[in-house]
Amino acid sequence: MSNFSAPSSYTEGARRGLADDTLQKNLQHLQNCYGRGAFEQWAGLADPDLRDKVKRRRMETLDNLDVVLSVLIDNVREKNGLVYCARTAEEAASYCLEVARKHSVKLVVKGKSMVSAEIGVDTLLQNEGIEVVETDLGEYIVQLRQEPPSHILGPSVHLNRRQVGRLFADKLGIEYSDDPPTLTKAARKALRHKLLHADMGITGCNIACAETGEISLVSNEGNIRMATTMPRVHVALMGLERVAATMEDHRDLLNLLTRAGALQKISTYISFNGGPSPVGDPDGPEEFHLVLIDNGRSKILADPEFREVLACIRCGACLNVCPVYGRIGGHAYKSIYSGPIGSVLTPLLYGINLHADLCKGESLCGACLDVCPVNNDLPRMLLALRNKLAYGDPGWQTTPHKPSEALAFKFWRMLVTKGARYRFALATCSLIQRPFIAENGMIAKLFGPAAAWTKDRDLPPLAKQSFRSRWQRRKKEQHSINGDEDDNGRGQ
Amino acid sequence: MTPKVSLFIQCLVDSLYPDVGDAMVSVLEQLGVSLDYPEAQTCCGQPAFNSGYSNEAKAAARHFIELFADSEAIVCPSGSCVHMVRHYYPVLFGNEDEATRKLTDRVASRCYEFTEYLVDVLGVDKVKARFPARVTYHDSCHLLRGLKIAEQPRRLLSAVDGLEFIEMNDSDICCGFGGTFSVNYPDISTAMVDQKIDNIIASGAEFVTGCDVSCLMNIQGRVSRRQEQIKVKHIAEILASSEAEP
Amino acid sequence: MAEVNDFIAHIRSALGFSLENPRDPVQFPALFSSADTDEVLDRISSRTREDKQQLVVQFREQAAPLKLNVHEAAEFAGAAKIIDDIIRESSPEFSEAKEIILHDHPDIAALSLSNTGDAQIVHHITSPTNTAAREQTIASYIGITAPSWGVADTATVLQVTKTGLPRSTSLVPSIHIGVLRLENMLADLIELYAVLKQNPPDSSYVFISGPSKTADIESQLVHGAHGPKEMHVVVVDVSPE
Repeated sequence: MSNFSAPSSYTEGARRGLADDTLQKNLQHLQNCYGRGAFEQWAGLADPDLRDKVKRRRMETLDNLDVVLSVLIDNVREKNGLVYCARTAEEAASYCLEVARKHSVKLVVKGKSMVSAEIGVDTLLQNEGIEVVETDLGEYIVQLRQEPPSHILGPSVHLNRRQVGRLFADKLGIEYSDDPPTLTKAARKALRHKLLHADMGITGCNIACAETGEISLVSNEGNIRMATTMPRVHVALMGLERVAATMEDHRDLLNLLTRAGALQKISTYISFNGGPSPVGDPDGPEEFHLVLIDNGRSKILADPEFREVLACIRCGACLNVCPVYGRIGGHAYKSIYSGPIGSVLTPLLYGINLHADLCKGESLCGACLDVCPVNNDLPRMLLALRNKLAYGDPGWQTTPHKPSEALAFKFWRMLVTKGARYRFALATCSLIQRPFIAENGMIAKLFGPAAAWTKDRDLPPLAKQSFRSRWQRRKKEQHSINGDEDDNGRGQ
Repeated sequence: MTPKVSLFIQCLVDSLYPDVGDAMVSVLEQLGVSLDYPEAQTCCGQPAFNSGYSNEAKAAARHFIELFADSEAIVCPSGSCVHMVRHYYPVLFGNEDEATRKLTDRVASRCYEFTEYLVDVLGVDKVKARFPARVTYHDSCHLLRGLKIAEQPRRLLSAVDGLEFIEMNDSDICCGFGGTFSVNYPDISTAMVDQKIDNIIASGAEFVTGCDVSCLMNIQGRVSRRQEQIKVKHIAEILASSEAEP
Repeated sequence: MAEVNDFIAHIRSALGFSLENPRDPVQFPALFSSADTDEVLDRISSRTREDKQQLVVQFREQAAPLKLNVHEAAEFAGAAKIIDDIIRESSPEFSEAKEIILHDHPDIAALSLSNTGDAQIVHHITSPTNTAAREQTIASYIGITAPSWGVADTATVLQVTKTGLPRSTSLVPSIHIGVLRLENMLADLIELYAVLKQNPPDSSYVFISGPSKTADIESQLVHGAHGPKEMHVVVVDVSPE
């Protein structure tokens, strides 16, 4: 019954997003509030060097990820937690299914987890006849609508209250309302039974701590706590980079995470889980599984140009400041990882050629770098991706993306490396342009690749006299004014 | 000691907006700066670099650093070009021989954006200019975030005789140019420049100015198509103004 | 399935190190080191009662926008009275009877809540835990716990899981009441992490900063999502014996 169909391309997705008034209004509000707000958080930090410190520690952790993960694994096992190492999405999802089968699971409740969508675990379980319910309100809403989330922290940011009202009236059988508190209460009631009686909870992992062997989950709604407390099995999915070495690192990361993503000093719940509950406890899981997921991350780790992107703590702040995301919304990226972080991560995980539009489809304004709590240089990485698309890179299975563009720049190179060629090209264009100049003095229509410019914009014509010619003429005039040798009427 | 400046006239200024170059020359000459203009200059390489064509960009960059090798100071009326030279030339030539790296560092460290040169190097924060109009300012991305230049243009503008300076909403949000982005993703780019223009209009200003011709060309192009009343002027032109009529 | 050792080896080799030879964590003390917390712990232990009362003022200020209700009581008798009032003034959300459930903690025992008239049924969790505790928790509309620490700067309380102190008591009932001793009030999260480092809990624990909330519909903040929709912290000033 889903009305959602994935856009055929980034450009088409962008067009849809631009035409969606609700999306435009909601993203404007989001960015005005949370985007600007994040910068205010940084300006008000007690320790102005905190982000630099945290970045250093993140890179140290990543540079020694083998060591840090081995300590995490040992400590999780010490607490009687089970650890599974998945090289691929398929391995991770299959393991979840195996655990579900072992425990005769009929109902799974999920805490919000980007990586769970990455591995496609929902579909695998549902095909087995297991009911899978998202319990984060935003995820629950998009699950009911059978569409993907459109923002890392706020999955339903693209919807307005009336749409949610109609959805709940239809799916939950309640009387229509567009009052957010009423709707939230309806979701609370609808999900309570699921949360209390599910057999298995699947969550992500915001920050694991190697030193203590615990994973921690950061939330406001309480659904993640419920999903990890009431079911008898808890499976935590973790991208292998989501680990802090020490509790001090954890404290600093947490501080930045809640401020950057939600402008909060702290979120409502930070739960620290490690291992199953003590025998005899009326709640808490009997079995705790930590699934470490590679799925392309070790390849990113191996590349010094891109290792930095693994420092990301998934706060979503970059989405909240990106002028491109703010216009087109998350669905246009055709990936669960959208916005600036998605533009780098998605091509690296799924294919650079496949997602060439994500590499090239932004203006490199740098707002994301400015706001990132861990100073991730996403513009630099986007340039590196564009470089691979320009020349190809067998190491990343990438072939040159646009041969016509490559040729154009080869030609351009010829012009810009010799002043004389450059001037000649300008002179030629100066002649050719004459018929294109409209009455208002501007050029309104160009052809070829430049036609895209004149679709919505005018262009000034080449000046009658370039700066260079004016300069040369002025020098000549000064020359003769200064009373030097008669200039013989030497030409312009 | 007479300050000496080699003019770095961005390709777009040279070919499309030579008045901007003239204006910058006029202001610098009025301040007693001695100017030279390496005539073989072409382009800093940014269009190629931002599109991923680092080899082609490097060729342009090499031409540049050789041309400006002996300059005392290199001044350009474009923040993005200066950013290219200062931040990315050392990256492009990072693996070259020592002589090239030294030359790159030398050129990079002597390259300034126009308002930055006036305020930070010459120590001038008021020029003899008159421009009686309501003016708002657009913060170009590379200038603001890359070079951290925001205060200098504002200081200069606020000191212009008769000029009423208005801060617009979201002056620091990208205008949507982004080089080839504007022709490869025109729908998104246009939506961004439309938002910029709406903010300019909402500010009540008659003019929008900035330090980067790429941005101004983008804004002006869309203003023209939308047939809005807003006029677009590079900051050099305002600082060189002395007539009563803007 | 990747064996753990192979998985780690693969990461090691991705980092440019030898595929064959595991790297021993002991060789990387800097990686696992953190700042010394003696100074912080000293600060905590030398804090006076008056200082802590000031912290409660701060706790209250931080709690207000979070819709966390803060009460102050002299002695447990005072706390019991406040809790009585809460019980009287509130109604169950998902049931008819007013059932409440209590952690097996001396501070809660000291409240003597079984004697209160207004709660129709008072469930006591025992150590070892009574088998009906789970059902009783689900049936209860108020859960009462005794958090180990409070944090003034963020209006946070620390809830540690132990036998007789299960997780669901502060989570499943619609209302959570935390009974916090004044002497356990800390200034900020730096202090909380310092005490956690000094005494790492054996089992799970959670930082709680108010009732549950969400802003998933049009970014409008709504209190009362899936966790408790109402929360109270009763700060008890217990005079030294």
